[in-house]
Amino acid sequence: MSAPTAPLLTVEALKKYFPVRRGLLQRTAGHVKAVDGVDFQIQPLQTMGLVGESGCGKSTVARLILRLLNPDNGTIRFDDREITGLDERDFKPLRRKIQMIFQDPYSSLNPRMTVAQSIGDGVRMAGIRDKAEQRNRIKQLLEMVGMPAASADRYPHEFSGGQRQRVGIARALSVSPQLILCDEPISALDVSIQAQIINLLKDLQKELGLSYLFISHDLNVVSYICDHVCVMYRGRIVESAPAAVLFDDPRHPYTLKLLSAVPEATTVGWSPRVESERPKATPPGGCSFADQCPDRNDACNQAPQDLVRVGDEHFVRCWNAS
Amino acid sequence: MKQSQNILLSVEGLKVHFLGDGPPARAVDGVDFTVRRQETVCIVGESGCGKTVTALAILGLLKQPPAVIAGGRITFDGRSLLDMPAEALRELRGRRIGMIFQEPMTSLNPVFTIGDQIGEAVLTHEQVPAEAVRQRTVRLLDEVGIADAEQRIQDYPHQLSGGQRQRVMIAMALACEPDLIIADEPTTALDVTVQAQILTLLKKLKQEKRMAVQYITHDLGVVAAIADRVYVMYAGIVVEQGTAGQIFDRARHPYTMALLDALPTKEKRGQRLYSIPGSVPHPAYKPKGCPFHPRCRYRRSACETVYPDMCEYGRGHRARCPVLFADALQMETSS
Repeated sequence: MSAPTAPLLTVEALKKYFPVRRGLLQRTAGHVKAVDGVDFQIQPLQTMGLVGESGCGKSTVARLILRLLNPDNGTIRFDDREITGLDERDFKPLRRKIQMIFQDPYSSLNPRMTVAQSIGDGVRMAGIRDKAEQRNRIKQLLEMVGMPAASADRYPHEFSGGQRQRVGIARALSVSPQLILCDEPISALDVSIQAQIINLLKDLQKELGLSYLFISHDLNVVSYICDHVCVMYRGRIVESAPAAVLFDDPRHPYTLKLLSAVPEATTVGWSPRVESERPKATPPGGCSFADQCPDRNDACNQAPQDLVRVGDEHFVRCWNAS
Repeated sequence: MKQSQNILLSVEGLKVHFLGDGPPARAVDGVDFTVRRQETVCIVGESGCGKTVTALAILGLLKQPPAVIAGGRITFDGRSLLDMPAEALRELRGRRIGMIFQEPMTSLNPVFTIGDQIGEAVLTHEQVPAEAVRQRTVRLLDEVGIADAEQRIQDYPHQLSGGQRQRVMIAMALACEPDLIIADEPTTALDVTVQAQILTLLKKLKQEKRMAVQYITHDLGVVAAIADRVYVMYAGIVVEQGTAGQIFDRARHPYTMALLDALPTKEKRGQRLYSIPGSVPHPAYKPKGCPFHPRCRYRRSACETVYPDMCEYGRGHRARCPVLFADALQMETSS
């Protein structure tokens, strides 16, 4: 569904290269192109999925949006304001609008701080000065994530993984954000707990009008929760489509490979696309997936520069797609 | 072949407790299962259900104390493992039973080449001349799909990707052509496309080498992809067992049903996921009666006091829930 409203977040031509240093003098020997020209938008109330395998650059994108890293190139616009060039003082009020939930609820909470202290920082940041009001707000936040008010004075180690993730979510909510970057928020949790957290995220989205950037390697979760999905491969988006379209009609050979690899809990049978032959080298400047692509041809010696439109809001970076 | 001869591994009434302060943690609390020759059996359950402890007990790798085998029998190819001398068990391990663990990086020694480590696995159990060991190592690496095996035997673990390291672990497990491979979450740390390669490799090797595989996982998708038969564990007991078809198409235990309902899929878009309330009980403080009853949709008052029996649905399909069994019987008689 394409809303005529302005997007909440627009990312354009985003690039981040990390230098690879070698030798005694630590000279720069090359670059890892972690994010290599990424464009996407997130609409208000939308859940945008960013999927791909480890090292594809999806977490780097999140860190660039939060300005934990500075991009080498490209722009990030939030709520119609460019945030790439802002200095720290001007960015601070915006940082409140963008929050993050991390994968590992065990290491993302300070073990020496009570739950109230962890959440309280954000509550104060949001401008609540009165102690009693702060207390009330903490209680309200805990309630929102389904935690008893009594947990406020307890420490992270007293909770299970699912409960800790709830505290992490309450902390993110404490500054009343509009956009939450969820980096693998349920990957470390048990199956029976995952559904609790997914339902919670969906409820909060509706209640508070949140947008999510949902970063995950778990395609079953993404297919369930996301409205739109971008597939990343080696720093670039290779396919972008509404979730229902992407999972029913994937067009990029990498998306096909990725989707076929996911085993589903059904008896319909599983036949992944597993290449048996060795990768064929691609000349420099060629398509980054060509070395393992079954549909490769001569055109692939040149990387496709643009995403090709193949349907309503459906874009693919592949010569063979159109 | 008679049924009993066909059974390679059988575990009966196994109980493993961990002693410490307070009441003993009953990690494995009366587990029965069998693995037949050339069969892939999946043990599936969440963290803390006892699936890994069961595997370690079979392999004789439990640290005792704090662990205590509080009861039961483990029989491998007709020989009882629990009263076997340590020396004989070590001989069996690696030679007849191969192991693959979750973390290939921590299971491999960083200061030896992978050739040395696979060679050592061969030499531990057989006296073979050095050149034969080298050839065997190269062939094993080739079989597990590592390209340029001749050169790669000189690589150190850090020079390999996660998937390649797991392939090396599989090569080590295969070194003595075991009858059974016990694999504990071997693909959990891997990317999904690499996982697909490793699962495909395991399926192929199982066929070629006529091995049985006991595969431990929390991932129901993986179970559906590879299992011949499945045991679902919860809080130290087996709650349901059957073929993959029986488990995924006609689950009969509330816990199995809840797990399947809780899985997000594209078909469930827009619907609320079923979420299992509460969390897994601590093994030292399990509820009385059925250990799942506090989280169960179908619980009756009896579930709070009576330990549930296994109910027989036929063709090897069993579930430890008398409530649903009574319902199923009633449906059958009324129709």
